Amino acid sequence: MVNYTVGQLAYLKIFFHAAKHPHLQVNGVLLGKKVSETVEIIDAVPLLHHWTSLSPMMEIGLDLARRHAESLELQLVGYYQACERLDDTALAPVGERVASKVKEGFTHAVALVIDGDKIGSPDNAALIPYLAQSPSSSWRPYSEAGTAVPFSSGSSFSLSPPDLPARAVSLVRDQQLQRKFGDFDDHLEDVTIDWLRNKAAMTFDIQE
Amino acid sequence: MLASLPSALQTLANYRIHNTRASKEVVEKGKVLLDAKTASSLGDDAWAFLEQLTLAAIDVANYEVADECLRQLAAQFPESPRVDVLSGIRMEATQPPETALKFYDELLETDSSNAAIYKRRISVLIRIGKIEQAVTELSDYLDTFYTDVEGWVELAELYSSCNQYTSATRALSHALLLAPQNPFYVLQFAETAYTADDIPLAIKMFMLALDIIDRHASEESIPTGVSIRAWYGVKLCCRALSERSCSSASDTLLPKNLPLLDELSTERVLTAYSAAGKDNATGRELVLSWMGPSDRSGSRLHFVR
Repeated sequence: MVNYTVGQLAYLKIFFHAAKHPHLQVNGVLLGKKVSETVEIIDAVPLLHHWTSLSPMMEIGLDLARRHAESLELQLVGYYQACERLDDTALAPVGERVASKVKEGFTHAVALVIDGDKIGSPDNAALIPYLAQSPSSSWRPYSEAGTAVPFSSGSSFSLSPPDLPARAVSLVRDQQLQRKFGDFDDHLEDVTIDWLRNKAAMTFDIQE
Repeated sequence: MLASLPSALQTLANYRIHNTRASKEVVEKGKVLLDAKTASSLGDDAWAFLEQLTLAAIDVANYEVADECLRQLAAQFPESPRVDVLSGIRMEATQPPETALKFYDELLETDSSNAAIYKRRISVLIRIGKIEQAVTELSDYLDTFYTDVEGWVELAELYSSCNQYTSATRALSHALLLAPQNPFYVLQFAETAYTADDIPLAIKMFMLALDIIDRHASEESIPTGVSIRAWYGVKLCCRALSERSCSSASDTLLPKNLPLLDELSTERVLTAYSAAGKDNATGRELVLSWMGPSDRSGSRLHFVR
């Protein structure tokens, strides 16, 4: 079992995307690389918040995101989504399809589903990891051996730095940075929207 | 504060016209108006404003404001079906779903013609995850209230969320019968058909959407919004059609000049990026490379069924 770390850029982008559309399903892909036995999830590219069950724009967005990843010398390493309902933490059928496609190109692909109930609390990652045995098998929520909960200490999943949730909450609450965030759907309305990098929303000190 | 009143009222009216869900802002502005007790000076607009504020307040969990608005509305319109709907929504926010469902059932028993109440019931069912039941009730509802375009679109989205794309296109075809000039519905149909792997139908509908937009377009020919999505869709379909044999469950015929369509859609999308200016259009190089000559190295991601 490899380890997974979610870095600041990736976590904040997922958080901002969900915060911008609290009543909608949103999704996107994860960018990163495998460094020895750890999958580093470094960045995220947001895709849709509209017609999230339909595939054409998703396919185009995925393709463009993959090329963008390559330009950063990264790969597509996973998929993320936030569901419409607070109590829904299932990976949607469309999510399974995308995640499986990503897994074809990256064996250790992971799907992260936002826990709508926990998100917003500063000491909870609020991310539920899903893994699959093979690209054609079904995706299951990852359960840790022993009693560790994903993203708690001792888990194979961690945040780096660990205080990311608190940071995310304060950036949304105090600076409303999610308002400057745009995804592929937004970009299709206005091609000047920087959905691949989202520099306008990432205006704080990035600590390595 | 008084000087900003007219502009606040204007903003709120705009939101009502466009059905915008900017709940936080509505509550911020609306609360000021509510506190200043200027609502009554709005005349007939007062009630639409109070309804809007009720919904926005519930959306951001400001129940104090919501209850105050509801109180005023109920006082003005006793036994109004429209106020009943608002009361139901307020109930949904803090009571268990079963309580709201029961409330709606009782209302329907006394008045089975309140379309909005059926839809609230269906919303609750969706919210608690009872999708199958929601689909059944929504289909029944549409048998009676056939002209509810929104209802057909919602049904299509429910079907899509369960992977039933062909059923979704059937529902959307009713929406198109009722609102044939709406390019959004046509676009949604096209994207759904694509997802259902009926590429000939998808490309036909992408072209129809563009046709509708064209008829209402101004002189400039720079694609925006729906057009960009539609041209991207055409390009995607052309590529699929040139790479593999695509059958059509709906027996739709292929358009005549695919290579020309391919070229045209490429040009239209790239124009949108060029028009934005070299420094402003982000990801233009990526799009250019994506448009590039078809390569069969399998480096593109498709949802092959």
